Amino acid sequence: MYKNKRSRNCPFAEAGIVYIDFKDEKLLKKYLTEQGKIIPRHTSGASAKMQRQLARAVKRARHLALLPYVSDFSR
Amino acid sequence: MAIYETVVILNSLLPPKELDDIIERAQEVIKENGGTIRSVDKWGKRRLAYEIQKKQYGFYFAIEFEGEGNLPLALQSEYNFNDNVLRYLTYAYDKHKIKSVALKQAKAEALEAAAEEPVKVAEEPVVEATPESDQKEQEEA
Repeated sequence: MYKNKRSRNCPFAEAGIVYIDFKDEKLLKKYLTEQGKIIPRHTSGASAKMQRQLARAVKRARHLALLPYVSDFSR
Repeated sequence: MAIYETVVILNSLLPPKELDDIIERAQEVIKENGGTIRSVDKWGKRRLAYEIQKKQYGFYFAIEFEGEGNLPLALQSEYNFNDNVLRYLTYAYDKHKIKSVALKQAKAEALEAAAEEPVKVAEEPVVEATPESDQKEQEEA
């Protein structure tokens, strides 16, 4: 579903974000799928630089139980 | 010297006094190992995204400090010794974080200068100066 959406501009650069903080769950959740996977950058349009930061932030947030590792309970 | 931040999840079932004791002890460890504390932030009780040691809730706190590379290890041994610490994360500020902090500071200073100037030029626009300072407070919060 999310693969249909494609934006060419980095959403972080457009929002003027320099640093992605792992404490900002609301922001991080925008870049996760329903199952809690990180959305690949060819769909989110994030630059390589910001995608690396995003991945690190998400992993830190997961470690501190701010984000789930998996959130897929419907099977 | 680098800037670090340590975030810890404690067992939220502990009485508030014991929680404060643990936070204090962490600060002592930092000071003993030659660090300086920049800020202590209690996030409070929060729901965990997943269960840790069968617990649904945790008490979060964060300490921002400056120090040498031996400090994270010292903190680690302190945390591992305590059964009431569910999780911890100590990390050094990378260049991106330092840049964003510097940018924020520059912005705050620019706002402060803007708030001060009209007062100096004329005494009348004092009324204008107050909403500006309110804005600044909101941004900081």
